[in-house]
Amino acid sequence: MQLRHSFTELRQGLRRNVSMHIAVVLTLFVSLTLVGFGALLNQQAVAAADQWGSELQITVYLCRDGDDNPSCDAEVTEPQKQAIEDVVEDSPEVDSWYLESKEEAFEKVKDLYGDERFEGPDAPLTADDMAESIWITLEDPNEYRGITSQVIGLPGVAGVQDLREVVGPILSTIDWIKFASWVIAGFLVLAALLLVANTIRLAALARRKEIGIMRLVGASTLYIALPFLMEALVTAFLGVALAAGALAALVKWGILDGLSGDLAFIPWIGWPEYGVAVAVIGILGPVLTVLPTLLLTRKYIKV
Amino acid sequence: MIRFEKVTKTYPGPGKPALDNVSIDIEKGEFVFLVGASGSGKSTALRLVLRESRPTSGRVHVAGKEVNRLAGWKVPRLRRQIGTVFQDFRLLSNKTVSENVAFALQVIGRPKDEIRNVVPRTLELVGLQDKGDRLPDELSGGEQQRVAIARAFVNRPMILIADEPTGNLDPTTSAGIMSLLDRINATGTTVLMATHDNSVVDQMQKRVIELDHGRVTRDEATGSYGSEVL
Repeated sequence: MQLRHSFTELRQGLRRNVSMHIAVVLTLFVSLTLVGFGALLNQQAVAAADQWGSELQITVYLCRDGDDNPSCDAEVTEPQKQAIEDVVEDSPEVDSWYLESKEEAFEKVKDLYGDERFEGPDAPLTADDMAESIWITLEDPNEYRGITSQVIGLPGVAGVQDLREVVGPILSTIDWIKFASWVIAGFLVLAALLLVANTIRLAALARRKEIGIMRLVGASTLYIALPFLMEALVTAFLGVALAAGALAALVKWGILDGLSGDLAFIPWIGWPEYGVAVAVIGILGPVLTVLPTLLLTRKYIKV
Repeated sequence: MIRFEKVTKTYPGPGKPALDNVSIDIEKGEFVFLVGASGSGKSTALRLVLRESRPTSGRVHVAGKEVNRLAGWKVPRLRRQIGTVFQDFRLLSNKTVSENVAFALQVIGRPKDEIRNVVPRTLELVGLQDKGDRLPDELSGGEQQRVAIARAFVNRPMILIADEPTGNLDPTTSAGIMSLLDRINATGTTVLMATHDNSVVDQMQKRVIELDHGRVTRDEATGSYGSEVL
């Protein structure tokens, strides 16, 4: 198959329909940026949930040495710990639970703020300053009162934190922004699909005489459709590239150089998550342009 | 080479079939005129040969293949064995004469060397060897039809289909085109030509098949345009 003709047609096609192609690229750019933004937020929610525990979890903090909590007068003892664990184990509201040691808690802090802050003799915090905790996943997120009231007064318990109260608003805000961006992206994706369809219709109309001759002399459907497919891929590539650039700018200046410094207690996403978002739009972009092209070229240039 | 077996073609909507139980057999190397009034079914018959549409019933065989059962992806291969010429020439106005002829080979993936060799030879055959660099608009109607014939024949098809090729031409130019089609037929190519032009049919004395309201009303081995029904 001679590709020279296809490349010539591609060049002519892009030039002939330049305004429509710009419209497609810009619509793809905005819609893919929003889809990518949604993918980043999704990963942000996962990262936050991993760090803080899922919304179903409540955390029982155990007393540590020198705890200023009024219900603690000393470090929790092994029998006290055992008694608390027995209550948790026997509760019908508890789906699963695990004990987080001082070291594990300290590791989380180090992951969040960076190891280097806690090295050397003058480290602001050591593992001993951390409290042990029991992380409980509930059978039903609405059935938490029983286990809370059972453990709250037990000796050795500093306090019970229902993570849903802390993390819930943050996670639901992230979720709302994510869904909003996906809904808007959905409309824009639809607009992009219609624009692609219109562009192909116009291109097929402009080339109808040539296509008619190609069909009559025995050109294959693929050969006739190839310039259209190549146009679709070029517009998809440009749309994806622009969206990837916008997302890179967001991650670099918005998160890494911005929010992650200002709001360090939140585990922010970074370049690996950006890679996933780019992979999502990198697949979606060509699908959005090639799929309608394949369908419509079957309709307009059917052999 | 072309065989219609009890072919009926009905288009959607009310009305009689465009072709009604038509049986035709055209041998390899024949020159056949398909005549009849407008709406008699000539163009439908040509469309069935080209597999641009399928019969409602019956079978159409072209170059040994039953075309109505041919898979879609095999249709281009069939069409490479059929050259087609139309009344309105259908040339690409932005391409030169040579480019128009070469286009037919380019789009089926023929190598550049072959195209460079074959196109000038074909232009010579149709008498346009000196006009390869002209654009179609710079040519007369007869010359444009010669370009269209060159494009149809450049791939050396087994069958040449001509749908009213002299419809837009004066009698002298028409005679030149018919002489060219006769020479192409002499190379062994089967020619099937639909026409209203009684003078060319009478002059050529070739086989004539007449259609009337979708039925074959005459099939003469060396007929004229207005012969009586046999």
